[in-house]
Amino acid sequence: MFNCLKGMLVTLVSTMHGLRQPVTRQYPDSGNLLGHHPEPTPVKDRFMGFPALTWDEDVQEPFCTSCMVCIRQCPTQCMSSVMKDNPLHEEGKSSRRKIVDSFEINLNRCILCGICVEVCNFDAIVMTHEHEMSDFSRNAIRVDLPILLENGLKFQKETGWIPPTQRAKVQKGGDAAAETTAAGTET
Amino acid sequence: MPATILLTVGLADFIWIVVGLFIMFTVLSVVVLSLTLLERKLLARLQLRLGPTRTGPMGVMQPIADAFKLILKEDIIPASSEKAIFWVAPIIVVVSAFMIWVTIPGTQNAVIQNLDLGLFYIIAFSVIGILGLVLAGWGSANKYGTLGGLRAAAQLISYEIPIIMVAISVGMLAQSLDMREIVNAQGSYIFFLVQPLGLVLFFIAGLAEVGRTPFDIYFAESEIVGGPFVEYSGAHWSVFFLAEYINTFAIAALTVILFFGGWSGPGLSGDWGIIWFLPKVYLVIMVIFWIRGTFPRLRIDQLMAFAWKVMVPMSFLSVVMTAVYLFYGWPAWSLTLMSSAGLFVVGYLIYKRMTGPTKLVSQTRIRQQALQDQRRAASQAPAEAGGD
Amino acid sequence: MTQISENRTPDAEPVEMLLNMGPQHPSTHGVFRMVLWVDGEKVVDVEPHIGYLHRGSEKLCEGEQYHQVITLFDRLDYLANFNNEQVYCRAVEKLMGLEVSERSEYIRVILCELNRIASHMLFLATMGLDAGAMTPSMICFRGRERIQALFESVSGARMMHNYFRIGGLKEDVPDDFVPQVRDLLKLIKEDTDESDRLLSFNEIFLARLKNIAAISAEDAIDFGLTGPCLRASGVDYDVRKAAPYSVYDRFDFDIPVGLDGDCWDRYYLRVQEIYQSVRIVEQALDQLPDGEVASSLGRRLIRPPAGEVYVRAENPRGEIGVYLISDGSDRPYRIKVRPPSFCNLSALKLMMKDCWIADAVVILGALDIVLGEVDR
Repeated sequence: MFNCLKGMLVTLVSTMHGLRQPVTRQYPDSGNLLGHHPEPTPVKDRFMGFPALTWDEDVQEPFCTSCMVCIRQCPTQCMSSVMKDNPLHEEGKSSRRKIVDSFEINLNRCILCGICVEVCNFDAIVMTHEHEMSDFSRNAIRVDLPILLENGLKFQKETGWIPPTQRAKVQKGGDAAAETTAAGTET
Repeated sequence: MPATILLTVGLADFIWIVVGLFIMFTVLSVVVLSLTLLERKLLARLQLRLGPTRTGPMGVMQPIADAFKLILKEDIIPASSEKAIFWVAPIIVVVSAFMIWVTIPGTQNAVIQNLDLGLFYIIAFSVIGILGLVLAGWGSANKYGTLGGLRAAAQLISYEIPIIMVAISVGMLAQSLDMREIVNAQGSYIFFLVQPLGLVLFFIAGLAEVGRTPFDIYFAESEIVGGPFVEYSGAHWSVFFLAEYINTFAIAALTVILFFGGWSGPGLSGDWGIIWFLPKVYLVIMVIFWIRGTFPRLRIDQLMAFAWKVMVPMSFLSVVMTAVYLFYGWPAWSLTLMSSAGLFVVGYLIYKRMTGPTKLVSQTRIRQQALQDQRRAASQAPAEAGGD
Repeated sequence: MTQISENRTPDAEPVEMLLNMGPQHPSTHGVFRMVLWVDGEKVVDVEPHIGYLHRGSEKLCEGEQYHQVITLFDRLDYLANFNNEQVYCRAVEKLMGLEVSERSEYIRVILCELNRIASHMLFLATMGLDAGAMTPSMICFRGRERIQALFESVSGARMMHNYFRIGGLKEDVPDDFVPQVRDLLKLIKEDTDESDRLLSFNEIFLARLKNIAAISAEDAIDFGLTGPCLRASGVDYDVRKAAPYSVYDRFDFDIPVGLDGDCWDRYYLRVQEIYQSVRIVEQALDQLPDGEVASSLGRRLIRPPAGEVYVRAENPRGEIGVYLISDGSDRPYRIKVRPPSFCNLSALKLMMKDCWIADAVVILGALDIVLGEVDR
């Protein structure tokens, strides 16, 4: 019986604690007892949301050359893409000979494992912080190239994204970056 | 004013009864809405949550949104159910819940029909609700429902006895079963002071009577998934919960009237007593919610054993003590002493019933500790490293 | 089910009722289904039905490359993802004879033990709910939420991390990892203390759990129980001590054992294990060395030599074993998992002998099964 009363004391104390500081938040706001604030609950830096393609600001084209590495490495086979000759390369503006023509990710199947990002040799795909893409129809989140690039651009702008290979160059010097590229995926 | 024979009452009385019933219905509905919000908010606070916040400022419109949702929901009647019984069961439950309130006074005058045998009437009517639960469980043709209905019958009838006995002892103290008389009899001292045992028994049995944790056995969500209510949805389901909250409110109100002096309190007289009455009732209800947020649920056999081995004998003892006190005309503090002694007996009985496992636990811990030390001593010796 | 009518005269009305509990029942912890034969409120017999969450994980593993299999192991015991990833990575590493850097071993141990705490906290929460107490669940979920926030900052995902790699880790932990974990451990202790004070010695809770489904050490061993369910019966067996893997032999920790082997022992043992895991993490943080964590394999395709290997580890639910056969290609030839929950479930029938319906819920809760692992 004493432990029962002790338990009641514990809940009373946690009530007092709760009046000061509830631990839950109102999704998607991050509010508390006294009203809510409209900004969504922040995610962590490394958060892996839905994948998206990145945009090369220097040449105004996607990083992706549609080399199919991510597509082969995807555990759930949720992506597909088509390659084309890069018109900008012919004009001499870009170093990419081939470029992505169309790219589709079936986000219903995507398990957000991040393997595609890891295997990509061209820094072309990222796991964005996007995680709220629910829709009422089943095929609505089969996303294609424009949406992927849009999401990617949003992510790049929000986080000040630097391509991982260049990041390594900035941090560790050239040889580390060379090593990463050398250890490219053997397919 | 014998309201039962409408032919003999005048038109004015008849109109007053109809208007009074309407007012009672409205007030009780508002009370139930407030209780649902209070329960959700208070439980949330107990559990470091926020509770409803979206509907209206701080979520105060939540009960209304809930009510709308429940009324608009499809009312599913299972194909294999006994349709008539399935339909009637919630109505029996809710009617008995409302009927109690005909004679529970809010203040000296705020009562629809005061009865000389008010307490008797209340206890008699509250038993009818059990019938509704049993019928609901059986009529929904669901095994969980049947189990829940049978549990409800066993539990509620068992706990009816302590409630009756405690009510009798209070009636003996007040020399009346009239609710107003009972409150007026507590002018010099509230009955809680002379009958602490009665209060504890009444409160525990009341918790069991309205199926509140730790006695929410007949609709235990994690075992029989709602028991009698498992097949109900929409308006029918909401009617059950309307009845449950009204009953909770009634038990709290009865606790206040029988033991805490009802609407009497310093500074206020006449109908202003409601300002004392409602906070007291809500305080009791908050204790009920607090207990709900703290305790696990008992098992059905433990519940029945508790009822028949502790509650019933002690409630009889409470009647006997009151009778002795009244017969010999002893001073009031003697009953306080006797009742407190009884309370200690209850405490001791609970402690003894529950202490078996506790003792086992402490023994286990001692033996565990010994084993732990032994092993640690053994592992001081160079341990062999093993691979996979 | 023929033996249920032993004491019945031939032409008597049947007294047992068949009560179907699950797969959609709030306290069968997922999609487990029990068919109970009940006589009034007493359970006469029980028959478990599994397979509602069967995804063919073991078969799927055969179609995936070695590093893709990690994502499937995440989804076996979805409350202890890091532990599952670790045992699979260790299996492949053993097959290939890889050495894992010190730092990644330590980080693996820290994350695994934190995951054990998270899993046990969820157990405490659901145990309270099964017994009818609502508040401990919220307190424990608060603690688990904090751990998962840490996991999110480390691996990018709250549950399906895919963070361990064959031969190392995906990337190093964030810079503020160590202080973050140290803060977290304090909070974990607070949360566990609070839920412990609230629930463990509550008389009603004790009355519900003590001496329920007590099984002896011999029975527990015979049924192949492992983990807390075995140790609750008094058997001092923990893979971390019995066959130390990774860097577990460098830490000083106790293995709590119960004595009666009842539901309360199973419950309280997990409370004690949380404190032991906290001890391990504290020591690991103190010893955490510097160095590389990323695998030397980089992103290269792995082709382990042909052969077979069996690796076991201590998961929150018991001993997990992975039997891996490789034929030298880039995909495993066969993977067989020994899931602890599945083996623990085998004692269900013994435990539920002559219990009440309310006990059945508690007994199942105390076994702490995860259906992703039982059904695979």
